[in-house]
Amino acid sequence: MATFLKSLLAAAIGVALGLTATWLAVERGYGFGAVSSGPWTGWPKTGSDGADPYARAVLARTGEVPLGLAEGLSFTARTDEAGAKLDPTCDYIVTGPIPPARYWTLTALTPRGLVIDNSAGRTGITSAEIVRAMDGTFAITLSRQARAGNWLPLGNTSDFVLLLRLYDTPLSSASSSIGATPMPRLRKERCA
Amino acid sequence: MRSLTNLRETLIGNSPWIAGTIIVAGIVHITSILAMPYLAPKDAFARLEQAAPLNRITVLPQPSSASALMPFEDPATVVAVCRYDLNQAPLRMRGPLSGDGLLLFSFHNRFGTTFYSMTDKGALRGRLDVLVLNQTQLEAVEAFDPEDELPQELRLLSPTQRGFVIVRSLAPEPGSRPQARARIGQIACEAEGNRRD
Repeated sequence: MATFLKSLLAAAIGVALGLTATWLAVERGYGFGAVSSGPWTGWPKTGSDGADPYARAVLARTGEVPLGLAEGLSFTARTDEAGAKLDPTCDYIVTGPIPPARYWTLTALTPRGLVIDNSAGRTGITSAEIVRAMDGTFAITLSRQARAGNWLPLGNTSDFVLLLRLYDTPLSSASSSIGATPMPRLRKERCA
Repeated sequence: MRSLTNLRETLIGNSPWIAGTIIVAGIVHITSILAMPYLAPKDAFARLEQAAPLNRITVLPQPSSASALMPFEDPATVVAVCRYDLNQAPLRMRGPLSGDGLLLFSFHNRFGTTFYSMTDKGALRGRLDVLVLNQTQLEAVEAFDPEDELPQELRLLSPTQRGFVIVRSLAPEPGSRPQARARIGQIACEAEGNRRD
C-alpha cells in the first residue's frame, strides 16, 4: 500500500514539475538560439525551419508569425541598458547606431504584443520618418508627454516592451555576427 | 544536526522515488513541448483559417489595442495572407515587384513554421511568380518542363498539405499606408489551374 501511494505521489509531483517547466519555458523567450546585445534580444532562428521545439511551442501558443530569416530581424528590449525593467512613467532615449537595413522600425507594444493606444495615435517610428542632426546621428525620445524631435509616445499602459525590426538586413544571413554588431543604446531619463 | 542526518537518511531511503519523479517530470516536459504545436487551439493557422478564404489574398485587419489577429505584428505594416490546401490544388502567387517599397513574403506550414521567406529584392526579373506545391505535384509539373531551359517560376515544396503565406508591406510614413496596401493589391493568389496529383 505504501509503495502504491508513493508511486502515485511520485507520478503526481513529476507531472506537476514537468508542466511547470513547460509553462516557464514558453513564458520566457523563444527557446534556444537567442542573440543578445545590450538590452536587445533576438531569436533569428524562430523564422526558419531550423526553429527548435521550444520556439515552435511558443509560436503555436501565442499565434504570432515571426519575421522569416530572409525578411529581416526583430529584437525585443524588456529592460533599459542598465537592466531596469521598462517603465512607461519614465522617459527613455534611444540613440544610434542601428545596424544596416533597408528599413527599420521601433515600436512600443504591450508584453503580450498588442498596440498601445496613445493620444498622438502613433505606435512606432520608422527609419524613413527619423529626423537626424547635422552629423547624421539621431535620438528618439520615448515619453508619455509630447517631446520635440523624434518622439515615440508611450500610452496608458502599466508595462511595455520595445521592438526593433531590421527589414531586409545583411545581418540575417550571418546570425553569429549579431552579438558583435553595435546596437542602439537605450537610456533611462527622468521618471514622473 | 540530528534533524539534518534524519533528512539525509530520508532522502537516501527514497532516492528511487526521487529519481522516478524527475524522470516523470522530464518525460512530461518534453512531451508537452513537442505536442504543443499539434494541440494549441489558437495557433496562427487556426486564427487565419477563421479570417481568410483559401487561395485568395486577404488583407488582415489592422491590430488595435484591444485585439490583434496575430500578436507582435509591426503596426507600420499592412499584412495579408494567402491560405492554401494542396489536397485541392497548388497555390500560384503572381504580381509585379517594382522595388520602390518593401514587400516581405514568408511561407508557413500547417504548424506555422517558416519554410521559406524572401523580400521583393529576391524576386526574379522584377516579378513575383511562385508555385507552392507538394512532391507529387512537383513531379507532375517537372514532367512538362522543356529540357533545355530553367523554370521561370520559383517552386516551393510545402512540407505539409495545408499552410499559409504571409505578405507584409511596409508603410514607412503614416501617410503611405494606401500605397502599401496598393502594393499588396497587385499580388494575386489563386489555385493553380488544372489539378495535378
